[in-house]
Amino acid sequence: MLAAEDEAPEAREGERALLRRARTGDPAAFRALFERHAPAVWRFLRDSFRDEAAADEATQETFVRAHARLTTLRDEDRLSAWLLGIARRVFLEARRARGVFLDVDGEESEGLVEAVLPTPTPEDLLLDRELEALLAEALGHVREERRSALLLRIDHGLPYEEIAQVMGWSLPKVKNEIHRARLQLRERLAAHVGGRP
Amino acid sequence: MSFSCREQELDALLAGELSPADAERVRAHAQGCAACAHALAWLRLERGWMAQRARRMPARPALDFSALEARLASAGARPTPAPGAAPHRAARIASPRSQWSHRGVMAMGAAAAVAFIVFGVGQVRPVSSPEVPWSQEVLVSGMLQACVDPSGEAVAALEDRFSACLIASPALPEY
Ligand SMILES: [Zn+2]
Repeated sequence: MLAAEDEAPEAREGERALLRRARTGDPAAFRALFERHAPAVWRFLRDSFRDEAAADEATQETFVRAHARLTTLRDEDRLSAWLLGIARRVFLEARRARGVFLDVDGEESEGLVEAVLPTPTPEDLLLDRELEALLAEALGHVREERRSALLLRIDHGLPYEEIAQVMGWSLPKVKNEIHRARLQLRERLAAHVGGRP
Repeated sequence: MSFSCREQELDALLAGELSPADAERVRAHAQGCAACAHALAWLRLERGWMAQRARRMPARPALDFSALEARLASAGARPTPAPGAAPHRAARIASPRSQWSHRGVMAMGAAAAVAFIVFGVGQVRPVSSPEVPWSQEVLVSGMLQACVDPSGEAVAALEDRFSACLIASPALPEY
């Protein structure tokens, strides 16, 4: 799923047209919206649950709910945030149903001094298998809420205001949590950037 | 708006969320500020990694529409028509809510089961065709056509070298 800013105006208009058709019950239009957004919804849920099978189930549930509530979407340009918001609720309900109330992610280190971090080089941009595994591990050490907020920004490209809506947070909290998530992630990955062998 | 090395503004710059005037101001500042250059390098790295990660989505049964279709059909679902909207002829019948939390097994279409192939990390599929399972190695894929947004000469040069799109941020001048 791309942020609205990343999309061409024609693409956005195309999506609005699809949405209008889907709202009248056109299955082909809903299918097109599903195929466009389901991968990002699944990824968001996979990152929330850290469980692919749970993400499968929750993705389907998200789109079942979206299908039933399409006409309640007010701002057609916020389809991504709306879907991710539904996904977030599905995740929270599933977690509650499983009796998981505490985030048992790894310990967190706060108060990181950013100045100690190396500066990434362009070569670091290449995400090879090893680095991708390290990234997944590093994300796993960020507690779930914070991680979700960060990913809504850096993976799903949502503006801070929309992240606030999805997470049910104030704007200052969104900014603070994302900033902390970034620092935690960087601290974990610092040894692997800036002149890796 | 004053600027004092705020990462959030650098982030907004990379996301293309700033007005042209603000973007120019932040960019000009970052050119001469080591702290902002450092932060920008990390922000660009995060975006680049996330873009590559997103392209390596495994093919999952839940991403096959036929699986959802089976579920919608079994739930008899269809959207409540908007006021004044003419219902589509092919539409199905309405259902207010699914029974997600009580369902142990996802309703899967046969096609979804057939299409369920597990792909390893390091494979990729083009962004432009998300429904096609990716099967090419990341660095030798035909992803170049999906690359529209190298965010700087250094990144573009690296992408040329690997014939792969490494970052998905909007095109930005080098700084
Ligand atoms: Zn600065």
